[in-house]
Amino acid sequence: MNALVAFLSDLTGLEGVLPLSMAYAVCIGSLLGFITVYAMFAIWMERKVAAHMQVRYGPMETGGWHGWAQSVADALKLLFKEDIFPSQANKFLFAIAPAVVFCGVFAGFIVIPFAAGIQIASLNLGVFFLISIAAVEVIGVIMAGWASNSKYSLFGAVREAAQVVSYELPSATALIGPILIVGSFQLGDFNTYQANHGWLILHNPFMPVAALCFFISSLAGCKRAPFDLPEAESELVSGFHTEYSGMRFSFFFLEEYASMFVASVLMATLFFGGTTLPFNIGDIGNWATYAERAAAGEPSVISGIGDFLRTHLGIVVLLLKTFFFIFIQMWLRWTLPRLRVDQVMALGYKYLLPWGLVTVIGTACFEAFGWGWLPH
Amino acid sequence: MEALEMYTVDDRDDVYTEELKLNLGPQHPSTHGVLRVELAMDGEIITRSRADIGYLHRCAEKIGENVSYLQFNPYTDRMDYLASMNNNLAWSLTVEKLMGTEVPERAQWLRMICAEMNRIASHLIAFGTYGIDIGANTPFFYAFRERESIMTLLERPSGTRMLYNYIQPGGLRRDVDDTWVADVLAFCDDFEKRWAEYNTVLSHNRIFIGRTANIGVIPKDMALDYGLTGPVLRGSGVKWDLRRDVPYLKPYDEVDFDIPVGEGTHGSLGDCWDRYWVRMREMMESIRIIRQGCAALPGGEVMTKKQKSMYKTPIKPEKQNVYMRCENPRGELGFFVAAEGGTSPVRVHARAPSFCNLSVLDALLPGTMLGDAVAVIGSLDIVLGEVDR
Repeated sequence: MNALVAFLSDLTGLEGVLPLSMAYAVCIGSLLGFITVYAMFAIWMERKVAAHMQVRYGPMETGGWHGWAQSVADALKLLFKEDIFPSQANKFLFAIAPAVVFCGVFAGFIVIPFAAGIQIASLNLGVFFLISIAAVEVIGVIMAGWASNSKYSLFGAVREAAQVVSYELPSATALIGPILIVGSFQLGDFNTYQANHGWLILHNPFMPVAALCFFISSLAGCKRAPFDLPEAESELVSGFHTEYSGMRFSFFFLEEYASMFVASVLMATLFFGGTTLPFNIGDIGNWATYAERAAAGEPSVISGIGDFLRTHLGIVVLLLKTFFFIFIQMWLRWTLPRLRVDQVMALGYKYLLPWGLVTVIGTACFEAFGWGWLPH
Repeated sequence: MEALEMYTVDDRDDVYTEELKLNLGPQHPSTHGVLRVELAMDGEIITRSRADIGYLHRCAEKIGENVSYLQFNPYTDRMDYLASMNNNLAWSLTVEKLMGTEVPERAQWLRMICAEMNRIASHLIAFGTYGIDIGANTPFFYAFRERESIMTLLERPSGTRMLYNYIQPGGLRRDVDDTWVADVLAFCDDFEKRWAEYNTVLSHNRIFIGRTANIGVIPKDMALDYGLTGPVLRGSGVKWDLRRDVPYLKPYDEVDFDIPVGEGTHGSLGDCWDRYWVRMREMMESIRIIRQGCAALPGGEVMTKKQKSMYKTPIKPEKQNVYMRCENPRGELGFFVAAEGGTSPVRVHARAPSFCNLSVLDALLPGTMLGDAVAVIGSLDIVLGEVDR
């Protein structure tokens, strides 16, 4: 962000608020663009994954090649649909709920380090910020459920509140282990640490458990099957967004896919090396290398291009890992039946939370005594 | 019927809690049609329920009293539209009992094969939609793949894919073609492999068992008291199957098959999983029956000579009351007919298995959760076309 402000101020020769607001606009615009394009791709991917698991092809016509433009067409359709308010709904809450839901996830994107240096805000409390800002979504869902004035929506909203709030505990405890090892909340530090010390999932015996706990609780946090109770189609019609249509509905949809991305990125960054590869091919995605070399007075074109490629390879590596976890989420959704409300709660409190705490204590001991599978 | 009244759950000075009335249906993804269930909810827990039926009432019985005996046959297709062959069979047997008609041997065997194939198709829908009720969408597509094969096979002799009107009083409308039997046997081979797939993806899934075991338990006595039949009765451990106990087709006496009953594998006897598992195993028993039927299929006519004349001049049975019942995929389908010598009966009544099985719903729901309500309705495997008729 600071680099971007400096760059813009150099480019335009302006000082003060103007380059800052320009930088904000650039960041927000690029993030919105990224999320929209990603969500369209992910929705298309989900339809394809589901179709092939269900012995069919999925969209094949729109756009020509394997129906690639189906999501674009759907988005356009949703855009042009009439904005319907139920007559007994609380109009104000009903209208802003999708925005509130989306804002929570959108804000989470600003701390994601796509590569070293490609991060909008490098917060000291990055992980903490991500977990807490994701909880804003619950407020929006409750607003939507209550404002719809539909019993199914209300049931969905109450289920969402109970589920997401409960699963924040195990997911947060599962993240304490990696934080203890790295000694930082800053998401960028995880990339640097894992570039030097190897992937955190292999760090000690408790890390795979923590990764599994986090993955399962992140499924619940994203309302993905088998935890899709807030929108359980066979029980609650569509759950909290039963009464929504058109663009407002698509915001809930966008939010679901965006939160899948955030959860998968966290999974990749905190346990699976982030932008690094498991084998060493140099310092991937390190802007600093380029800066250091420039400072040392050896900026050759070749090394510049090489660094550029490496940086982008870092992004590619991260995105590949992320999409791998997104694929697993889809895989589970089209394979597993749905849990019941009490079973969801039991799983969270009886299994995931204790196991999460075990990983915290275990990792703390291992760190204190310097044990583990990988060098510290 | 009166609407369900909501009670106050907790009425203290500071807390005032009332039951929430939830309308499950008539338009709802998992009431299997247009069933409406009024639920009194205390949070997620159902305190009382009341099933409200009649949204698909089409006066089938009254129509039966206004058309000739043979003309009513296609209307029976539309009752349990997922098992048209079996409905046709029940009505044809009723009319044959009225007239004392003897059906040719080949027609009887083909009737059995077709009825069992339709039973598999019907159970496949029960299996697939039950998966969707529990939240697993994929089994549904697997089930429809095999159902498609059955529909294609049944289309060849009957000309239609769903509402066959193939089994008719006096025999069958048409004989099957030369390669039909071989294709049916090929389907049987294929289906056995697919059946193993279903169990991998759904039957033995831990979450699925967790959702269905110990839910909607119908003890033996209760099942008998409510007059339940079919897989719902057998799921409770009662070994009662008309195919074995009251063979309404001669071939059922000659083929060898088991009657699966619930065993309480994952919990109490008579829970949703037991009913589900009975249906799954019945599919395999049907495959056994079809195999034996195909092997023993005799040649000859498929229609009585007398029946051919029935279409020229409508039959006029003597004054008598007749009741005939068949083992449908959903239970016992019985037709009561009062004839008084005219071209149409004076009274037709259908004892629809779904209707009788649905009666137990209100006794099962209280105390369960909203998600269980869906599981229980699905495990009863009702077809609203048959409930309302």
